[in-house]
Amino acid sequence: MKQSSFGAPNVQGLITAETPVGFELIGVKKKAAIQLMGSRLWGRFNPNHWDPVYAAETGLKAPIQTGEMSSAYLAEMCVNYFGRNFFCNARVVCKYVASTFANEVITTHGVVREKTPKGNGFRFKVEIWADNEHKEMKTVGWVEVDVGV
Amino acid sequence: MKTTKPENAPLEPTTDSLRPMTEIQIQQTREFVRGLNSVSQTYWDMVTVGDELSRDLHITPELVILYADSVEDYNPWYEGWLMNTWNMEGSSPFGGAIVPPLLVSHFVLSVQFDHTKPFAIGSIHTFHDSEIIAPIPVGATVRIHTKAVDKFIRRERRYVRHEVTVTDVATGKPYFKELRDIMSL
Repeated sequence: MKQSSFGAPNVQGLITAETPVGFELIGVKKKAAIQLMGSRLWGRFNPNHWDPVYAAETGLKAPIQTGEMSSAYLAEMCVNYFGRNFFCNARVVCKYVASTFANEVITTHGVVREKTPKGNGFRFKVEIWADNEHKEMKTVGWVEVDVGV
Repeated sequence: MKTTKPENAPLEPTTDSLRPMTEIQIQQTREFVRGLNSVSQTYWDMVTVGDELSRDLHITPELVILYADSVEDYNPWYEGWLMNTWNMEGSSPFGGAIVPPLLVSHFVLSVQFDHTKPFAIGSIHTFHDSEIIAPIPVGATVRIHTKAVDKFIRRERRYVRHEVTVTDVATGKPYFKELRDIMSL
């Protein structure tokens, strides 16, 4: 890698073969900003994601983020902790259990739940979730990643 | 009979209640939403179990920047385009710039129904089980293939399930697999 990649995650990640079960990941924190929720990237064909009036008409108290956004936040946390390992033979399972409303502050979390010997290393299983500032769960799931294999 | 709201009743949401807008922006937004409403069809009705669709997506550096900025992920591994430099090879643990791990998962949505027909607004993505097989280089063209494998009703809500594969168009190399559910109106 070139030296210019200041601010990049650790290439090998922060989780090593020695990392114990129970280890807690420090997540990332994001605000559900309406300007980002209304990006053309997400299509803009579902006004529930960006229009307060339409959202109210369909019974929502505010526009809701597309689930892809919280999955991306969780993936960013995983790249921080697994580095390059997260891009090879990894598995990510996410279930969107509650809507994320505009202006909520979302924090991601992770805890190492299992490590299974594999090759020269381990396959780690990490429980992941995203919640808001009131600790209300929004997304739950888990990832599996090879480390040192 | 005229009804009055209690003084402490919550305010009705307005088009500009979450971001500042002028009258012309509000008018354009309302017209856009009316247009979406008038032509849409439910996702449930657009998909039949067994449907298979395939499309090729060129993952340009600018598309990656659009995605990364929309989720506020400023990891330099994803930068095949930067202001001032513009297009560049980039740098990651795999050589050049790579695509964020779940970017292609987002674009699967455009291959889960006939994209030439109006999309059914109101559908919600509820679940995904994704396998990241190998890093995707920025600039690759990938083939997204989907197959509708199930339609089911759970707690009076309608869901459609798809199996997905993402491969390199040039080499056939597998990059990504997914099982995903969408809840339809």
